[in-house]
Amino acid sequence: MDLIEVSGLTKRYGGIVALEQASFSARAGEVHALIGENGAGKSTFIQILAGAVAHDGGDVLFDGAHYNPANPDDAETTGVTAVFQELSLIPDLTVEENIWFRREPRRWWGAADRRELRRKTLDLFEKYEFPPIQADRDVRRLTLAEQQIVEIAKGLAKSTRVLILDEATSALPAKETEWLLKLTRKLAEEGLLVIFISHRMGEVRSIADRMTIFRNGSTVATHVTDEVSDDEIVAQMIGRQMDRLYPERHDTTTGRIALKVSNLECGSRLRGVGFELREGEVLGVGGLQGHGHRELFQSLFGASRSTGEVELWGRAARFNSPNQALSGRDGIALVPEDRGGQGLLNSMSVRENLTLSVQRRMTWCGLVDSKREAALVREMVDLLSIKVETPEQEAGTLSGGNQQKVVFGKMLLTEARVLLLYDPTRGVDVGTKSEIFQLMRDLAAQGYAILFHSSDMPELVHVCDRVMVLRAGHVAALLDRSAISEEAILRAAVLEKDT
Amino acid sequence: MNGFLVRNRAVLLAYGAVVLLLLVTAAFSPGFLSAANIRATLVLAAFVGIVALGQTFVIIGAGIDLSIPWVLNTAAILMTMLCASENLPLLWVMPLMLALGGGIGLFNGVGVAYFGVPAIIMTLATNVMLQGLILVFTGGSPTPLAPDAIRFLAVGQLGQVPVIVVIWAVLGVAATVLLSKMSFGRHLYALGGNETVAEFSGVPTRRTKILTYVGSGMTAAFAGMLMTGYSGQAYLGMGDPYLFTSVAAAAIGGASILGGTGHYVGTVAGALVLTILTGLLPALNLSSGALQVVYGAVILITVALSSDGVSATWAALFGRRKTQGAK
Repeated sequence: MDLIEVSGLTKRYGGIVALEQASFSARAGEVHALIGENGAGKSTFIQILAGAVAHDGGDVLFDGAHYNPANPDDAETTGVTAVFQELSLIPDLTVEENIWFRREPRRWWGAADRRELRRKTLDLFEKYEFPPIQADRDVRRLTLAEQQIVEIAKGLAKSTRVLILDEATSALPAKETEWLLKLTRKLAEEGLLVIFISHRMGEVRSIADRMTIFRNGSTVATHVTDEVSDDEIVAQMIGRQMDRLYPERHDTTTGRIALKVSNLECGSRLRGVGFELREGEVLGVGGLQGHGHRELFQSLFGASRSTGEVELWGRAARFNSPNQALSGRDGIALVPEDRGGQGLLNSMSVRENLTLSVQRRMTWCGLVDSKREAALVREMVDLLSIKVETPEQEAGTLSGGNQQKVVFGKMLLTEARVLLLYDPTRGVDVGTKSEIFQLMRDLAAQGYAILFHSSDMPELVHVCDRVMVLRAGHVAALLDRSAISEEAILRAAVLEKDT
Repeated sequence: MNGFLVRNRAVLLAYGAVVLLLLVTAAFSPGFLSAANIRATLVLAAFVGIVALGQTFVIIGAGIDLSIPWVLNTAAILMTMLCASENLPLLWVMPLMLALGGGIGLFNGVGVAYFGVPAIIMTLATNVMLQGLILVFTGGSPTPLAPDAIRFLAVGQLGQVPVIVVIWAVLGVAATVLLSKMSFGRHLYALGGNETVAEFSGVPTRRTKILTYVGSGMTAAFAGMLMTGYSGQAYLGMGDPYLFTSVAAAAIGGASILGGTGHYVGTVAGALVLTILTGLLPALNLSSGALQVVYGAVILITVALSSDGVSATWAALFGRRKTQGAK
């Protein structure tokens, strides 16, 4: 018998239908993937299962009984635990305190039993072979990936029958992703139902027994993974045949050097990085997370302190702040890693976000020329086909893909011809991903120079002209077009000997 | 609807409160709506409004300026002393005092922006230091009378309109333009909304932050001089009530203490609400202690209503609900 059976599930927010007539069934002991573009209704669906949101119509059966949890606690008591994409950790508590938050083992007078807490944490880590994380470290000092792992630990610390993983791999580097996928399989074999959401088809294929496809707030179909092709899945996700995810690559590299970096050092994270990025080129930056990518991008952009020589278009250019880096055509722009925390002002309008970095292009003696501003906004909305009702819409209400387009537009408006893109497709739906890749190639053809980091290796393989692999803060390999492959990148990223 | 009003529903509510209070007050004391009384109310509101101008900018930038009382007091006392004992003309002294206020603001701003001192601590420390300095400097004795020129600015009239109300109007228009029409305003809202995003977008965050404190120091110093003109004398502690009122006016006008929202247009309404309230309460025949309690409580309730509570209720009743987490 199926553990969860959903029929006719509906959820509205005011006039907006988030979920309509969704049906779903899954049994204990399987990994069941949910796939679909952003805005397709997956998030609402799992929020209902996890008790974070109440549904308006339809029926959910859990183990044959009606299931309508009042809140997440209620859901967890019944046996449904969710690890959401938005992290729920408390930055000032330690790893172990977060994992056992509100369920700390206590001594008889009520104080937390620290020794027992540590023992339980280490047991948990050992049982599921967690990547090494210090149990007594403050969460605020962890990287995004480590925080995601703690979040997973928190989910596993509860005895549960259903575990929901919402894009848990999107923040994880390759090795940890592999661990999580393995763990997911193991949990399913132990009899858990794992509901797994990912935008990465490769992952879904490697672990899911079945998958349910969402589109426009409804479920389209459920397939057994081995019996369906990628093309069919993608077609059902977007409702039409998509030409292809990756654009055609023409070599548009010229001889001109746009960005020349030598001996770049930043604390212990970057130890003398040097490379050249040419006009019209997309240079990929690969390797495992925590090996200097973030520091490289932020140093070049002036957001981290560093030493070394940087030349832009033949002239020395060391920036002390992003304000200096975004100086116009000869500047350098960054699409940052953390959309909500670094890229977008959620409560401001799309218009204000787009033009935030280019005040000088639309002001006269400090006064804003609203016609000029409207023209700039229209230019970007059209170029990137950002889906907005009006540019006055709050940026935070857009789907992930459209939010990312706004961040992109903000940087393109600066006219900087050297673009740093740090994982620009993270948490972005397939359709938008494909648009972003096409845009990157188009920009390269127009003479932009692009430095591109992605946590998803196939993207590097299919979009870049060359790929530079960082390991332990230095360049471990520089792969030419013909030499780029996932295997070559991974080899350079993990093997001690340089290729 | 106009985008500004949609975003600043609290501003509308604050003006609604102004009208409501006017009606209530008129009911209690029928003579209230006389021209003379309205003039007097506007003059008092102008003092609050001018002090709260700088505070509004600081709060929008997610800071707070607690040094206002003694910046105000310092400027007031130094002005009377320089004008009387040194016999300097006000035309010199006034810019000097504005520069002094700006300088103190610069000190606050640099401490917050470059040394990372929390705004509450930084400005509180400045306030205490100024208080000490002035006590030592004056020996606690009263200061000379205010020069005539400043008296004109504070109590003089241009036809039927008090000079200070004109000054307030000019400053108000300038502040509104600065916030709504200039890149400084954009930068300020971005800074208050999310400092990291602002930084990554190339906003000169430190400069913007410092400028708000400089502005706040200047408006406090300016208000201090005008108040001296109004009461004829500068005295110790004259700025103390204005810390609470400056924050309350901004908050009633819709500025979130977390930064990123609010507008001077709202603060103007906040200043009016506070002033009318001060005029209304004595009509209730309460002891002065009880008055303070009622005053504080009413402000608390107003701020609570003008922030999330009412906006959420409003949204639930009339607007589209926020799609929390829905994609």
